[in-house]
Amino acid sequence: MADLLGIGKTGLFASKKSLEVTGHNLSNVNTEGYSRQRVMQSTAIPTATGGFVQGTGVKVDGVTRFNDEFIDKRLNTALASSKYYDTRSEHLDQIESIFNEVDNDGLNQILNKFFNSFRELANQPENETIRSVVRDNASLVVKDFRRIRDTLDAQAQNIDRKIASTVEDVNQILSHIADLNGKISNIEAQQGETGDLRDQRDLAVKNLSENFKVHTYTDEKNRFVITAQGIGTLVTGLQTQPLAVITKDKGNSSNNMNASAEVVLRDRPSQPVTDKFQSGSLASIIKVRNEDLRKLQDNIDGIAYQFTSSVNAIHRQGYVNRTLNIGPDGTPSLADAKGLTTGIDFFVQPLEKDGAASNIDLSVAVKDDLSNIAAAMAPNAPGDNRVAIGISQIQHERIAGEGSITLEEKYLQSIGNIGLETGKAHLDAEQANGILAQTTSIRERLTGVSIDEETANMVRFQHAYEASAKMMQAADEMFKTVLELKR
Amino acid sequence: MTRVSENSSTAALKYALNKSKAKMEDLQRKGSTLKAITKPSDNPVSNVEAMALTSSSNDNVQYLKNSEFALLSLNVTEKSLEELTDIISKAKEIAIAQSSDFFNGDIRKNIANEVQQLYNQALAISNKKVGLKHIFSGTSTLTTPFDSNGKYKGDSEHVSLEVSRNFFVPINLTGEEVFFSAEDGGTIENPLQKFEQFDKSTISNLNRDVASKSDDEADGDTTNPFKSRDNIFAQLAGLTNALESNDPKMIQGLLEKFDNSISRLITLRTRIGSLSNSVESAKSTLESENIDHASRKSALLDADVVDLFSDINKQQAILKTTYQSTQGVMNQTLMDFLHR
Repeated sequence: MADLLGIGKTGLFASKKSLEVTGHNLSNVNTEGYSRQRVMQSTAIPTATGGFVQGTGVKVDGVTRFNDEFIDKRLNTALASSKYYDTRSEHLDQIESIFNEVDNDGLNQILNKFFNSFRELANQPENETIRSVVRDNASLVVKDFRRIRDTLDAQAQNIDRKIASTVEDVNQILSHIADLNGKISNIEAQQGETGDLRDQRDLAVKNLSENFKVHTYTDEKNRFVITAQGIGTLVTGLQTQPLAVITKDKGNSSNNMNASAEVVLRDRPSQPVTDKFQSGSLASIIKVRNEDLRKLQDNIDGIAYQFTSSVNAIHRQGYVNRTLNIGPDGTPSLADAKGLTTGIDFFVQPLEKDGAASNIDLSVAVKDDLSNIAAAMAPNAPGDNRVAIGISQIQHERIAGEGSITLEEKYLQSIGNIGLETGKAHLDAEQANGILAQTTSIRERLTGVSIDEETANMVRFQHAYEASAKMMQAADEMFKTVLELKR
Repeated sequence: MTRVSENSSTAALKYALNKSKAKMEDLQRKGSTLKAITKPSDNPVSNVEAMALTSSSNDNVQYLKNSEFALLSLNVTEKSLEELTDIISKAKEIAIAQSSDFFNGDIRKNIANEVQQLYNQALAISNKKVGLKHIFSGTSTLTTPFDSNGKYKGDSEHVSLEVSRNFFVPINLTGEEVFFSAEDGGTIENPLQKFEQFDKSTISNLNRDVASKSDDEADGDTTNPFKSRDNIFAQLAGLTNALESNDPKMIQGLLEKFDNSISRLITLRTRIGSLSNSVESAKSTLESENIDHASRKSALLDADVVDLFSDINKQQAILKTTYQSTQGVMNQTLMDFLHR
């Protein structure tokens, strides 16, 4: 009879435990990274009494969570790739808007205006007013080259700051994982339940994967070892290898800019691993900075350099719009009260291609005096427009890209490229998001809590609890029957 | 059987909603701007083509301005030539009338005054201006080309304008060409010829100075066999002198010179006329090109309104359906049906 009570008690206990777990599941229905749990129960060890082997009820083996590490790995990979493309398209969108000329005047139109103002000057080379239009248009060109280059630089610096804050986040996640590693192996050594801690650790790895792709495996003490390809081991057991950000000067940087942020392992500061990250937002912003932005910076510098040098080369052959003294041997005076009379640069001649777009400016002579804008190729010929025509002709001359394309074509090529890259990033992001949604739903189907299911379980366990209680009541009544025999 | 959890169904819903709303947003942006392309990545190829078309159209607007300017110059030049021809014809008539011994010295002296007036008129024409520029002084446009003695102060350079891409048209005749015998006229060179930058370029190999080439031939016709170095002013002054000194022989001698001058002026007028024609035809080409550009650009950039709005309607219906189905999924669980 005592057996009966005991069996009833185990049933009561198991049902109560199951109800608790159901409650735990239901309350965590919206907890990020939570995996539903269930009670593992089995028949209690049967006893042999009186020649019979008989059951002794149910026993609770433990609480386990539903989880599939392979799905988790797939999810992390999908997440890293989706983050990579999302971040990429977000940044390229911003870069693209620098070159958006659909609605407003961009560099292309401004350059066009510059050349056309020289054509206008060719119509009336005597006219000072048109010279001032030319100078105004040239200042707009200067301004727009600088705007583009400065905005590109600002984007790169923005990414530098983002790298620094990402690395900080990553380090925090790494030490969090190491911490959880310790807790899990401790609790498991004492046969404790670690489902929730494991959920947290999986979530931490997932968060880490948003930044770059990592590989995880479990050591003999159920601790995660985390490595990243090309970077090295970041977490082993309780140890972490944090990342650090250092700044490099232009010559040593990976994007040819001053004070650029480079990522290193804290213990090996001499070996930058900036370019080594794969997938994830960190790899994405680094690629945007080191490849896309750098290419655009190079291109715009190249265009500015070619443009200013070519305009200067022609402008230098011209004479100022002033009456010059002709010497006895027929050569005009090379300088007058207002300075040189020929060989004047229109723009400040850039020393090198590098930075030509940010250093672009009108030459001092042109800034000082409008008559220093040369339209004539011969001295004392106010009607001579050959230099003005020559400069306007640069527009259609193939001087960019080793003499194969015009400046405009080169610029449009850059815009076309960034447009294509952005469009591609959008498509890639859409696809990666689709895969991520699919993988997430596969994971959630397995590990997610279903309220319907839990409700059904609740009813089921409640019934089981009631039944076990009835069982004990029956045992109780049986005791009573036996005890009443004596009366 | 596929298990469905709360999170998997909401995730699926969120994904579907997001996708459908993103599409709606894109369509709405197109609907509000009526443009198929609002940023380069919408269609990189069309965007770049449209930008190239824009600058090409802007160039054309400038070329049209250049053409107008060239036409102005050429028309003024032609008008001047016409007036000049009239003057010389008048002088010739006088010379013919006075080449006999019929008139006496007194009358000839009076007529000499008339010829002096013609001389002054010719001088006024020679110093004609368009805006700031003297049209007959070569590139020294701010210098008055002829002094009262008919001495030329200008130079023998020509000014060319680009009236259409790589099509240069000389817009002036120098005082030497018009008033002196033709051999003094400078040859017209490509305005880019002196720049070594354009040596290797394909443009300078192009026959870009069509106009000036045919001009050279025209020049050839007018090169008169006498190669005289005298000019219109000298001829008029000579007539005055001859009249004053009552010298019919000398007047007779001038007749042929007047004929040469007239025929040269007429050739020059033909030449200017043909230049004007080529500028006009370049102009009309530019105008029709601009229309083509505009329609091509519209095809590249503008949204197809019918397509767009039917797409918007379709997308709105899809979104509505998504919302309606969401209502069914989100708000009900088994809990609602368990009553005890």
